[in-house]
Amino acid sequence: MAVLVDEKVREEQELQQKRSSELKQEIHDALDNTTLARTLGNFCKTYPGRRLKSYEGIDFEGNREKIKEVKSYAADHVDEMIEKFTTNCEKRGGHVFHAHSTEEGMEFIRQLVKEKGVKTIVKSKSMASEELKFNHVLGDDGVLVQETDLGEFIIALEGNTPVHMVMPALHLNKEQVADLFTEYTKVENKPIISEEVKTARKVMREKFITADMGVSGANVAVAETGTVFTMTNEGNGRMVGTLPKIHLYIFGIEKFVDKFEDARYIFKSLPRNGTCQRITSYISMYTGANEVVLDKETDEKGPKDFYCVILDDPGRRAILAEPEFRQMYECIRCGACLDVCPAFALVGGHVFGSNVYTGGIGTMLTHFLVSDERAEQIQNICLQCGRCKEVCAAGLQIPEMIMKLREKSAEEHPNNIKKFALDAVSDRKLFHSMLRIASVAQAPFTKGQPFIRHLPMFLSGLTEGRSFPNIAKVPFRDIFPTMIQKVPEVKGNIAMFGGCLLDFVYTDLAQDVILDLNSIGYKVDFPMDQACCGCPASNMGDVENARKEAEINIEAMHAEDYDYIVSACPSCTHQIRQYPTFFEEGTEMHKRAVTLAEKTFDFAKLFVMLGGLADEGDGKELKVTYHDSCHLKRSLGVFQEQRDLLSHTKGVEIVEMQDSDQCCGFGGSYSVLYPEISAPILANKIENIKETCADCVAVDCPGCMMQIRGGLDARDIPMEVKHTATIIAEKRGLR
Amino acid sequence: MSMITDELYECFKTNLEAVGGSCVRSSKAELGKTVANLFKGIDIADACLVESPLFAEAGVKAAMEAAGIETHTDHIRLHGETDKGGISEAQYGIAELGTLVQVSDNIDARIAAIMPEYYIGVVKGSAIVPEYDEMFFKLAQLPEIPGFMGFITGPSRTADIECVSTIGVHGPLKLTAIVVDDE
Repeated sequence: MAVLVDEKVREEQELQQKRSSELKQEIHDALDNTTLARTLGNFCKTYPGRRLKSYEGIDFEGNREKIKEVKSYAADHVDEMIEKFTTNCEKRGGHVFHAHSTEEGMEFIRQLVKEKGVKTIVKSKSMASEELKFNHVLGDDGVLVQETDLGEFIIALEGNTPVHMVMPALHLNKEQVADLFTEYTKVENKPIISEEVKTARKVMREKFITADMGVSGANVAVAETGTVFTMTNEGNGRMVGTLPKIHLYIFGIEKFVDKFEDARYIFKSLPRNGTCQRITSYISMYTGANEVVLDKETDEKGPKDFYCVILDDPGRRAILAEPEFRQMYECIRCGACLDVCPAFALVGGHVFGSNVYTGGIGTMLTHFLVSDERAEQIQNICLQCGRCKEVCAAGLQIPEMIMKLREKSAEEHPNNIKKFALDAVSDRKLFHSMLRIASVAQAPFTKGQPFIRHLPMFLSGLTEGRSFPNIAKVPFRDIFPTMIQKVPEVKGNIAMFGGCLLDFVYTDLAQDVILDLNSIGYKVDFPMDQACCGCPASNMGDVENARKEAEINIEAMHAEDYDYIVSACPSCTHQIRQYPTFFEEGTEMHKRAVTLAEKTFDFAKLFVMLGGLADEGDGKELKVTYHDSCHLKRSLGVFQEQRDLLSHTKGVEIVEMQDSDQCCGFGGSYSVLYPEISAPILANKIENIKETCADCVAVDCPGCMMQIRGGLDARDIPMEVKHTATIIAEKRGLR
Repeated sequence: MSMITDELYECFKTNLEAVGGSCVRSSKAELGKTVANLFKGIDIADACLVESPLFAEAGVKAAMEAAGIETHTDHIRLHGETDKGGISEAQYGIAELGTLVQVSDNIDARIAAIMPEYYIGVVKGSAIVPEYDEMFFKLAQLPEIPGFMGFITGPSRTADIECVSTIGVHGPLKLTAIVVDDE
């Protein structure tokens, strides 16, 4: 029996490794696609500015609250929505089929197509139909299904799947499109975009005129009126809903809102978030069997055959049943989470997605609606930088949901190698002794700089394209007892949480934090039993080890004895703030976790809170550009304090870099898993830094510091990277 | 019903032009001539016209025919396949977006607005509302939602190839709104 189990575990691991190396190959292919890099890269780069402009005069936050409100109402009343919609649509002469599975939905459509003698179908974009494998199934039945959206048409000719939810053919250039069109039309097509668009119009016009059936996807379905809405730019949606005598809508239960006016919130954000347009060329609203020309020769008119297939499959019900994922119902499929994602901008949706859904939200949709296995692979592509949350039209907690997916899969399919590393980290003594060994065993300095090219043990594999720092010869825990803290009038006491990087790499920084706090009247303690904060374990979905580390640190820090806890690493601060979620409310551990979380602050925030802001400094000119850490800016909401501290420091001039809050690509363990994605993200950051011509990059996160220093070093750029605490200590002469 | 203010008209026009459409203003008496001139201006020889009380009163069809434009008011579905022009009346407009709003299940009106290469949408100045939200409330308050309602904002467009914005895909390549002064 044991042998059998081992065999199974081995097979599972082999399969996981195979999938993982396949994904690596996909990543390399995507990175090699120069069209994708150029087009998607440009799009993503200009997106934030264009998006903001489209929102001028619009209360984005207010609107997203409204979207949340109307969509969550529909989610809470989903059975009522289905019933009301069905009644109202049927009252107006439409037919509604409630499909309890994708198979059931597709079978209904097959029969309908057969019964009505449908030979050709024109289809405007419908992602739900992709879930049904609509084109494939009907194609096998001998029905001609024509995708009419230009992008969908192109990828159908290519035999590919969408690279982006809103712009499906971004990976192809005009030359490739011309080749596809030439092959299809048997007439030479020139690689001129306006000409290609004309070809598409000509080819499709014929199909629109002769098609027996039109198929549409809905952006919104209104229960109280039985109205379905479709938003398009090309006008293909209009043609599909205007010419054929049979019109079929396919949409999932997540498209419902209760009242007609509820739809307006969605159409306010959908075009702005999706394509940076204030509105698209067309919004079409169909209610029941609307009018159509039955015979163009006699000009006879009458109601069309109008069908709605509502997809209510087990996957969608599973989303509603899981409290952590239920909010996915509120997604309006605008694709904004893709457009701001640094990893998506590099690899696109063929890598970061499945054959139907792409990007951040696409990862969850893939998990529930398309393929659990695929989701398990791509969920690791997320950097957890949190940019998607800022722009999400419905305010979805996308990074948190991806984290939950990781937890789910870590529970279901533990990966032994990763597990070993995380077990080791959560065993404080083992981890610390590994780091001590590493400090002795590591390679000598390179280029006279304190960087090493190869890190030992589980940290190896980190180094491509970057240099990594030395592990300190003497860890901070051994330096701390030798420090003399001169604080004449003690205002209070603070415990420092070092985290791995301060304790074992940046020991000078740890000392600077203490000197800074001493200078404003606070004594700092360094509890020796503290361990890794647990962030790496959480990132990889290993809740068990994350909880274990939380327990160790709650005990070790003993927050009850201090006024505050200071951390100079925002990822540690963020993690400590999460501690209460690991324990049941009402328990002693939960209570202590809350105390610790409430007393813990990041350095800049705490230093300003305690009166550290002062017009001091040596007055020596220092041009500083500031890089925002993802956790500090987006999770902890701190971005002004450190800028105030720096700009008040005599001699310091701040020059902002472009996209200062764009991730540096470090992402904790991310750069270990996907160095090939992390490296170009870093390259982009370095470019933005270079452009400022600053003397020094200020950061508040030792992870970012390590990443950016490594990036500068690898490119021989003699620019310094310093933590805000260090700049304060140096400029105020505290060292 | 009151006349459209200059300010509201300018707002509508600016926003429609921003998305590649064009906009002119006309009195009821001049409407027929305005339409004919627009069509003739880009050599449109044949067009679908969807009759409405406003068009009948203003004599739009007669003016078009007088200008030598072959004008079809029936069998629109058939003629829409070949006619280069299309004209119909939209029920409302939204100034802040430059949007024409169709509130009618009349299939001919939908065909005339989507099939031909050049579409002229006529809207009464008094039917232009300043804001999108207001339009939605108006529609929501209708005693019954018609089988079809639609917003049209500029000509059809795409950015599906290399993200390059290109005007004129399956719908009109050109679009003009004529705002008619009611009184």
